[in-house]
Amino acid sequence: MNRADRDEILIDDGETERRHPCRRFASILLASSVWTRTGRMPVNRRQACAPKMKLRMPEMPPANLLAALGSYNLLPAIVFLPTRRRCDEAASEAALSRRGSNDDRREARRDFMRSLVEQHPEIRDHRHWDTIVRGGVASHHAGHMPAWKLVIEKMMSAGLLDAIFATATVAAGVDFPARSVVITVADRRSNRGWESLTASELQQMTGRAGRRGKDKVGFVIAAPGLHQNPQRIAELLNAPPDDLESQFRATYTSLLNLLDAFGVFAQVRDIGERSFAFRNVLPRIHHLEKQRAQSVDRIRERLHRAGIDLPVESVLALERLASARSRLMEGTPQTRREMRQQWLNKVVQPGRVVAIGRSGKRLALVVARTLDGVTALREDGRHASFPLQRVGRVFGPKFSTRPEKAEEAFDEIHDRGDRLTLPEPRLRDAQAGEEDSIRMINDAIDALAPSGLSGTERDGVVRALWSLQSEAAAIEKANREIGRLRSEIWEPFECCARVLDHFGYLDFANEKVTERGKWLADLRVDRPLLIGEALQRNLFASLDTTRAAALIAALAADEDRDYGELELDDAIVSLLVQFEEISFEVSTEEWKQGIEAVPEINFSAAAAAAHWAGGIDWPELVRETRAEEGDLVRLLSRTGEALLQIAGLRGTHVQAADLAARTAEIILREPIR
Amino acid sequence: MRRSRENHRERKPFRKRRRHDGQARPDKNRPQEQPARVASTGSYGRELRDLLSGIGAPKPASFRPDPFQLEALAALEFEDVLVTAPTGSGKTWIAREEIRRLLAAGKRTWYTTPLKALTNSKYQEFGDEFGVEHVGILTGDRKENSDAPLIVGTTEIYRNQLFDALRGGEDVRVDLVIFDEAHYLGDEDRGHVWEEAIILTPPRIRMLLLSATIGNADELAKWIEELRGVRCGVVTRPGARPVPLRSAFLMPDKRLVPLLGENGKLNREIAGMIEQQDESRRSRRDSYRRR
Repeated sequence: MNRADRDEILIDDGETERRHPCRRFASILLASSVWTRTGRMPVNRRQACAPKMKLRMPEMPPANLLAALGSYNLLPAIVFLPTRRRCDEAASEAALSRRGSNDDRREARRDFMRSLVEQHPEIRDHRHWDTIVRGGVASHHAGHMPAWKLVIEKMMSAGLLDAIFATATVAAGVDFPARSVVITVADRRSNRGWESLTASELQQMTGRAGRRGKDKVGFVIAAPGLHQNPQRIAELLNAPPDDLESQFRATYTSLLNLLDAFGVFAQVRDIGERSFAFRNVLPRIHHLEKQRAQSVDRIRERLHRAGIDLPVESVLALERLASARSRLMEGTPQTRREMRQQWLNKVVQPGRVVAIGRSGKRLALVVARTLDGVTALREDGRHASFPLQRVGRVFGPKFSTRPEKAEEAFDEIHDRGDRLTLPEPRLRDAQAGEEDSIRMINDAIDALAPSGLSGTERDGVVRALWSLQSEAAAIEKANREIGRLRSEIWEPFECCARVLDHFGYLDFANEKVTERGKWLADLRVDRPLLIGEALQRNLFASLDTTRAAALIAALAADEDRDYGELELDDAIVSLLVQFEEISFEVSTEEWKQGIEAVPEINFSAAAAAAHWAGGIDWPELVRETRAEEGDLVRLLSRTGEALLQIAGLRGTHVQAADLAARTAEIILREPIR
Repeated sequence: MRRSRENHRERKPFRKRRRHDGQARPDKNRPQEQPARVASTGSYGRELRDLLSGIGAPKPASFRPDPFQLEALAALEFEDVLVTAPTGSGKTWIAREEIRRLLAAGKRTWYTTPLKALTNSKYQEFGDEFGVEHVGILTGDRKENSDAPLIVGTTEIYRNQLFDALRGGEDVRVDLVIFDEAHYLGDEDRGHVWEEAIILTPPRIRMLLLSATIGNADELAKWIEELRGVRCGVVTRPGARPVPLRSAFLMPDKRLVPLLGENGKLNREIAGMIEQQDESRRSRRDSYRRR
């Protein structure tokens, strides 16, 4: 539940300007035409920017834009802009030039704001107060506090504002209509960088155009912008809505709770088989089983007709041996992960730049290597340690590891990164000794026919066996397919189960949740295993509220969001280092089981939460972290929620629960609610 | 804040009137629209006149439910219902009326939303509508009146309650669960929670899913139906939007032109402008190279 507002963060991620990845030869497929049936893996449905029809015109100054809209009687409008900073700038700019204008609603706005101050004291000295009251415009995005956003929504509903400059987050959730919606970019920022809008996203935006009961018509207006593409907007407006894709996956929380409730893996698997992602799988399995049975019947019949007294299994054995032989002759890969790890171990060396994580967007300059780990310098100049398997891409050139030279290295990668990527080796087994194996298989094939037959009889049997091989291959294929379909559902759960087994929360052999696992099942947080291990190893025993807050915040924060460079005292640093060791141990085990490793812990979040728990007041926290208020609110409210979850473990962890409850009370003070 | 909330609740007495476009049905008593400040419609060309014709506020009207809303309510009597309609077309009205009916019958409702902000605003809205004593709220950091017959909360909390009930061998004390913004099922990070909640909700509990327009609504409903062994109807708002939408392009010289031509494709004037722009860019680049 502490993710209830996470998507806002994911959609709109901060101020770091990213380069616009406009590829020249990208396809112009409509986003909605590509989708997968079993979308368990995150599927990128979006296309890169279409090369044609791109409008490279500068964004219109906000004041001019509003004046133009006003002249057509198209206000109030919601203007969608790509970044939070653009929203704030546009609102201030527009307000500045509208100050002198004669607007009889100015007094009404002032009164309205004043009437809200009592209920939301934190808006009193807001830096955008004047923008709204005098200019009649506002900016609205995830960087603002919830209370402030609420004020803007209310003023808009009351008809007191002419325009709101917003990021795409406004499009989701809150009711927030206007007469017109202005689109200035055909792409949007996401946690994966720049992506094309999808039909559904555009629909969410245009859904704000036209107020029920106040407008007879609503307008969507495409306006000039550097990344505007009228052609694509036109296509998306005509496109059918996107399909909903299942995102079903195994989590520790669901596995522990379901296993504890049902007591056997089979029923957990059953839940998985009933998910939206796999709704077509069961009928397919039944169909394959039927086909398989038919093939067996046909083989039996033909053996019988040929007068061969051999079981069906002999035919299957022949097929298996024959295909093993041909696989050997071709040389078949072993596991890709193993190969990749060996390769990373070889190429990830100090001086090389690597891209980290799923997105592969964040770069780091390797400064040191351990057996399975990497220490590197990030682009923001800070050090980070992470397991080797978190490395996405590796770039060829070697740079100096001196921090002052790092920027040059990153620049070079930004400029020519695509060409500098080291190619991952393709898996080709070049094993020796294959020929011996092939000879052994040949002998085994010969031995299949019953002994004691004369030469011609024997040839006849062997010929008959070979003639049935394609039928046998169909059975093998059905077996493989059935196995694959079943494991597709179950495997992720099994991986989770093995990790939990390793740490003693689950008894894999007996399909039981252990006593330890029962309380972990009650801990509904984003990364339960990490908090579980911290509790298990008594990390909370000696903590005060400040350090407890720091610890949980380090976990609750998004891994790559920066909450400023506040000082951390030694006690907190050593605590976090201890915790990083736990995190490393957990992710190593997860990697072994093929689970994507947990993200790094966030030190700057720990510092911000420690200061807040230490009693600093809100404006000071905002000033010192230089983080955006909305981000701080989300961080602290998620920290508070995670602490409340720990506070719920009174039955098993009295001391930690008590500490967490006290810390949560401090963290969840105004304006965090 | 009080003011707007009261406005929201008061409804104008019924007045006979002609409907505009057969579309706009205001349910709020709102101040009248300001006159256009710089309007000189006379000088507009025909194209622009067409584009902007009919702009403005409809005459105030009393609220009358849409047929699709009534259809959804009727269907809920005997089956699960998936409603897909765009924002602002009155999905919440369906939920509110059904809750009203259940409250009167002494039954219990769980209303789930994906966002804390949305949960808070629904809590307030329902509190005003049904009386605060009948509404409780459950989020990660807020727990009030949790025994109330109407609970508003995040989907994660509802799912957690299902887990707890399952492990404790108890029954969840709910008669109707409403999933607001049910299309969150497709959310990359949190979508699995919606699926778990739908799978684990006992078939005895009636389900109402409110979703934005999606391409595969029928497929989703069919899945729910097979899963729960209860019929799941799909109710869609015909004609898509409650207020019709027009699209336009604001040219760099501030002229407003329709975004789409009569054939439904991009307006030729815009396409021409972009081509021209590319042309001049190319020739500038070429001349620069020659130097």
